[in-house]
Parts: sequence; C-alpha cells; structure tokens
Amino acid sequence: MQLTKNRNIAGALAMASCSLVGQSAQAAAPAGLLDDWKVDAAILYYGEQSRVQAVEAIGNAQKAFGDTSVLDIKLVADSLTGASASGAVPQGESQTFTRPSGNGQYVVAAAETPLDDTFHDTRVQGSLNWTETLSPDWKANGGLYGSKEFDYMSMGLNGGIERSFNKDNTSLSLSGSYTYDQVDPVGGRPVAFSAMALRQDFDSDAAYRAAFDKTRIDSSDNKQTLDLMLGVTQVLNSRWLVQANYSLSSVSGYLTDPYKMLSQVDGTGTTQSYRYEHRPDSRLKQSFYLLAKGALDSGVVDFSYRFSSDDWDLQSHTLDSHYRYYFSGNVYGQLHLRYYQQQAANFYRPFLVVTEALPDYASADYRIGDMTGYTLGLKFGQRLAGGNEMSFRLEYYQQNPENNGTELLGQLNNYDLFPTVKAVVAQFGYSF
Amino acid sequence: MRKFAIKMSPNARKTPTIGAIAPELKLLSRPWGYLGQFRAMASPCELLIASHDEAIARQMLTLAANEAQRIEAKYSRFIEGNYLWRLNHSQGAAVDIDAETHSLLQFAGQCFSLSDGQFDISACPLMALWRFDATAKGQIPAQDAIEAARKRIGFSRLRLEAQKLQLPADMQLDFGGIAKEYAVDRVASMLAGAWPSLSVLVNFGGDIACPIAKPESQAPWQIGIEDPQALDSAAAVLQIRQGALATSGDTRRFIEKAGVRYGHIIDPGSGYPVVGAPRSVTVLGPNCVTAGMLATMAMLKGEQAEAFLAEQQVYFKVFR
Amino acid sequence: MKKTILALAVMASLSGCASFGVEPWERAQLARADMALDSEKNDLALDDHIYFSKEGSSGGRAFAGGGCGCN
Repeated sequence: MQLTKNRNIAGALAMASCSLVGQSAQAAAPAGLLDDWKVDAAILYYGEQSRVQAVEAIGNAQKAFGDTSVLDIKLVADSLTGASASGAVPQGESQTFTRPSGNGQYVVAAAETPLDDTFHDTRVQGSLNWTETLSPDWKANGGLYGSKEFDYMSMGLNGGIERSFNKDNTSLSLSGSYTYDQVDPVGGRPVAFSAMALRQDFDSDAAYRAAFDKTRIDSSDNKQTLDLMLGVTQVLNSRWLVQANYSLSSVSGYLTDPYKMLSQVDGTGTTQSYRYEHRPDSRLKQSFYLLAKGALDSGVVDFSYRFSSDDWDLQSHTLDSHYRYYFSGNVYGQLHLRYYQQQAANFYRPFLVVTEALPDYASADYRIGDMTGYTLGLKFGQRLAGGNEMSFRLEYYQQNPENNGTELLGQLNNYDLFPTVKAVVAQFGYSF
Repeated sequence: MRKFAIKMSPNARKTPTIGAIAPELKLLSRPWGYLGQFRAMASPCELLIASHDEAIARQMLTLAANEAQRIEAKYSRFIEGNYLWRLNHSQGAAVDIDAETHSLLQFAGQCFSLSDGQFDISACPLMALWRFDATAKGQIPAQDAIEAARKRIGFSRLRLEAQKLQLPADMQLDFGGIAKEYAVDRVASMLAGAWPSLSVLVNFGGDIACPIAKPESQAPWQIGIEDPQALDSAAAVLQIRQGALATSGDTRRFIEKAGVRYGHIIDPGSGYPVVGAPRSVTVLGPNCVTAGMLATMAMLKGEQAEAFLAEQQVYFKVFR
Repeated sequence: MKKTILALAVMASLSGCASFGVEPWERAQLARADMALDSEKNDLALDDHIYFSKEGSSGGRAFAGGGCGCN
C-alpha cells in the first residue's frame, strides 16, 4: 500500500519545482528579456440543422510584466449566416413576409416554421484587461471592451478587486461592469406591435413604401447594462476548491428584438397579421453560481449549478460538468455534460389573438419561452513539445422549446409550434 | 566523458565553506566548445558550453559563478550573519522574507509533506547528534537525546505566509538539501533565458542540468555515473540531450554497535539512521531540484529505494 | 427578499471557511494549470457566447455584459 501512495511523487515534485525554478527564472531574467506572450487561439464552427451557421475565431494573448502585472488581450471575429425563427407560427398555406429592410419578401412554405433568412452578419470584438497584484493579499483588475457588427455596437468597461485571506485559501472578489450598446436595425426600429406591411396589399410601390415607413422609427436606440458580481473562492483541501458568485445585472433601454414578430391569429388559428414584438425597457437579473472543481490523479472534474431569475419572471437552472482524463501525460479526453431548464418570461406568448386586446408587452421568441436544453461534448487535447497544446472539441446541443400553457387554436394544433433546435459545435484550439 | 564526484546526501552534508570569496574562473577551449570552471558550494562547478564563441562563454561563466555565489552567500548555513543566519536567529519572531525564500520554503514544505516528514530542512538538531565527528568512538546517541532533538524539529511547526516566516526559537533551517540543486536550476534557466538556442550543461559537483536540448546534429552529453566503491571508473554512462540529473549518496562512514551497522542517512521520523540505504542514488528528472529530491527520498526509503524509483517511472541508477 | 437569502448564504459559507484550506506547501495539485478556474478560457468564452445567444439567461460565471445582437 505504501507503494501505491508513492506513485505520483515524481509528478508532484516536478509541478512543485516549476513554481520554484520557473518563478526564479522570471525574476532573474536580465532586463529586456521578459516572458514571452502566451497565446490561446481557437476557431469554432456552430451549425444548426437548416438554421444558423456561424464561424467564430478567438485569440487570447497574455503577457506578464514582472511578477505583479498581467495584460490580457482578446480578439474575436465571427460570421453568421442562415435563418432563425422569426416568431411567426406555421400555417396551412404558404406565408409571405416583408424583409426587415422593407426591400423584398421571402416566402415560407405551408406547415413550415417561419424562419427569417436575412441574417448575414460579421462581428469583431476586442477587449483589454489588466490585472495588478497590489500586495500578497490584494489584486485589482480593469478592462475595456468593444464590439461592432453591422447593426450593433457595444462598448464597456469593467473593474474589480480581489482580496485573499486565510493563507490564500479564501478569496473574495467584487467586480462591476458597465456596457453601452447601440442598436441600429436594418430598415429602422419597428413601431411596437405595428402590423407588417406586405406588398401584395398595396396597389403601388409608393403606397407600400409609405405604409412600411409608418411601421418604422428611423433612428438608432441604445441599451445600458450595469453588472455587479460578488464572488468567493475557497480551497477545501489539497484537491478541491469551490467558487460561489452572486451577480446582479440591470439592463435598461431598447431590449426588443427588432427582427422578431408575433402572428396575430383568429379563432381558427389562421394568421390575420404579423405584429412586431415589444419587450419592456428594463430588466433586473440576478444569478447565483456555484462551482466545485477537483484535481484527480489522472484528470480533473468540475460541477457547476447556476440559478438565474429576473423581473421578467424568466427563471433558469443550469447544471454543467466537465470530466477530463489523461490517457498519458500528454493526451487527454474530456466529457462535457450540460442541462439547462428555463421558465418563460411573463410576456412570452407563441402568438396573439385578434379578439383579445394587445398586451403591454409580448414576444414569441422561443429563447425566452419555456425550454430545456442539453449539451453533450467530447474534447481531445494533446500537449506538444515546448508547452504547446492542441485540442479538438465536438459538441451536440439540443434545445427543446415547450408550450408555456397556451391553448392552441384551430389549425395551429396541426403544426409543431415548438420545434426542436439541434446544433453541432466543432472547435479546434491551439495554445503556444 | 564527464565524471563527477558523489555528492553527499543532505543529511550528511558537512563541509563548511568559509566566507564568500570571489570565485576563480577558468575557461578552457575544448573540441566541442568551452569548458568553464569555478568553485562554489564546496564543490567543483562546471559549465560545458556547446559554442566556440569565447565572449559568450565568458559571459555565461560569469553569470553562472555570480549566481552560484549569490545563492551560497545567502543560504549557506556556515556563513555567520548571512540571510539564513538572520532567519535562524529570529528568536521566534515573525520576520519578512523575500519571494525567493518563500518559494524555497514552499518547495521544502511540499517535499516535507510528499515524503511524509522524512525530508525536513529543520532536522539539523537531529543530524547534529548523529554527526560522526561528534559521536566519535563509535557511540550512538542516547535515546533521550534523540527524543529531545525530535521535539525541536518538524517543518510543520513553522508558520509560512507569503511575505513572512515565523520560526520557533528552538528551530533551525538548513537549505543544504536543496540549495545546490536549486542553484543548478537557477543558473540553467538564466542561461537558457539569455541564450535560448545555445546548449549548455551545468554541473555543480554532480548536480547537473541541460536546459536547452542539444541538437540532433551534435553528440549528446556523456555523463559518467561512478560506482561509489570503485571511484576511478565510470560504472554507467548516460547520454542526455536535455534534462537534469542529481545524485544522493551515503558516505562510506558508519558506526557499528552491537552488530548493527548504522549508516549516515537519518530518518527524522524515527530519529535513527535508515536501514538498508543505498550507497548512492542517481536520478534523471525534468529539473535538478526534482531529480535531487527523488534521489534523496529514495535514499530515505532504504531497502525500498529501487521499488520507489521504479514506481516514479524515472531513469535511475542505484549503487549498494 | 430572495436577494437577502442569497447574500446570507454567501456570508454563511464565508464564515465556515476557517476550518478549510491547506498549507502553502500542500498546493501542488491545486497549482496545476488544469485546476485554474480559467484553464479553458476560450472554450468557456465561446460557450458563454453560444448560450447567451440561444437562451434567455446568461452570466453567472462571468459577466453577462452587453453586446451582440446575434440570434
């Protein structure tokens, strides 16, 4: 039994010696010979079955200046194409929709879930973060963030402090961030609940254009987000640590999705008009996150739970876990499991009914409806010579939207109003 | 072929160094490059530099000698008034320590816990009892003296924080078990940082590191491992391009009492010499401190030394 | 109300901390690169982005932030 206990001493010593020799090497490096950049890069493909396809590239570079300062630079670029659910319901006949720009139309076949195929977007994002160790107990960080896509711009700043106690076994952090977003939708912002103007209802282009313009407000709008987060990290023993975060997020401004609509149906479930959705102009969210992470002899495991709720009455529970196993010193396999369950926002409804008065707010966006989601992922990684690492990840993500208890009218009973969304994620990563 | 003398185990280290005098540097041209020599830490120190650029070789040698001397001056137990002396004379008060000392102590603590207390840099009082010049005439220490000494030792008794150390007044630290390996790794990593494409072998009295891989186009470094019973001939030759090598050895002195032969490796756990300790253990590791600690721990395992090392899946050579 | 309860839970877990923890030299396993909370930060960032875009709630581990009108 003595022998089994001995097994990892060489590895543990090698690891322990790294902080001894590694750190000293850094401290001893002649001026001008600072540590090299540490770069993590990844490219990801996200593809939904017959819907959105996206490619996202991410590069993260980290550089330490001396023992106390770390600079982090992150660049992200992504490109998105394909169709996403517009919110309208399927019908027994084909349906014609006006494109968000007002120029042109698209047709959705009978019984099909209406998807808007207008989306082609490219986004770039950059962020800078600086972490400064002020004393053995105190750390501070601050950063800037910006992203730009065709119809959307976002910029923000964040900062935080961290204090460690109890021989570094406990750390408390408090951080905050402020983000300012500007949305400038294609074709202007839709007037809340205005009915979509359709070319076939008008005699001339001019008459149609005049009607379309009445559904639009021709200016951009903005959204402001203030986040606060309080976190605790606690070392339990030589192998396990836990982290708990409480966060509060207050969003105000334009929170409506300018490209989403609701079908307004009659008693037989037949669509009479399409109305642009309208969401409240503020949202207060809070979430509680708990993570446990453990170092195993031949791997790592983590479990996390998140509870999230907001004043839209949207609530969610998320369970997430990763288990990594090292086949050898250099090669590992990793399993990722995630379960997500969401309870709809109070203004979510799959459609509007002509005989009922318009509500204050409504959205048929399934992403704020009742839903369960599952992720199953596999990852393989290999450490290469010189500290480089290569990894490949493949994940399957499925969303099962559910009816929030709305009674389906007439023909709507014949169609799947809550279709499953299936997506595949493939990612290649490299660190050097 | 390079040879090196057998290093004494940390428990048996005893050669005092007097003062910190400027090391005398020697640089010799060799067919494969330059051989640099100086003395530090009571050992012959060498750099084998795979370059014919004399200016670079001289810079490397100067850097290595200065660093070795700095570490010796700071952490030698035999220099009155030095950094370690001040820690050992802190009279139980919490004193400020620098980052380097903190790292060393943290590593020593990890070794203490990984060896279940067998490797202990605070074990001096016990070692002193078993020092052979003190126990001349073949006397083994009295049981109550051993018990008294054991009460004064134990790494877990000191309080280590990021910038502070509190050492109980009756305790003493001795970095003898790790300082030379640490100096080798420090020098190796400084040289590798400053000349990242130049292969060099750092050898401080048998503790060796080659931080930069020697190219395939050149012959690997040849390292002779001596048999402590036949010091004139290399019993094994090891070829390495990169990595580190350290040796822990018993001296050939022992006390024989009532038919029991007491060797020179003391286990702080029992207070007595380890039974069946090999004469020397050489281990190949990723760096010198790791290799050195594995060699020391193997010595402390006595009869189990080979089994312990086999389980660690490292290359090793044990002489008995 | 709910907020108060969460804050209390955090405080309770804090005060229980004194009995947990390890000595500095027992950190060999915790110091492993794969034990860092951001050890797979690209994966985490990409996942956060996907779920932010496809689900009604976000954040928790890190800031949900603003940005992205993506669907």
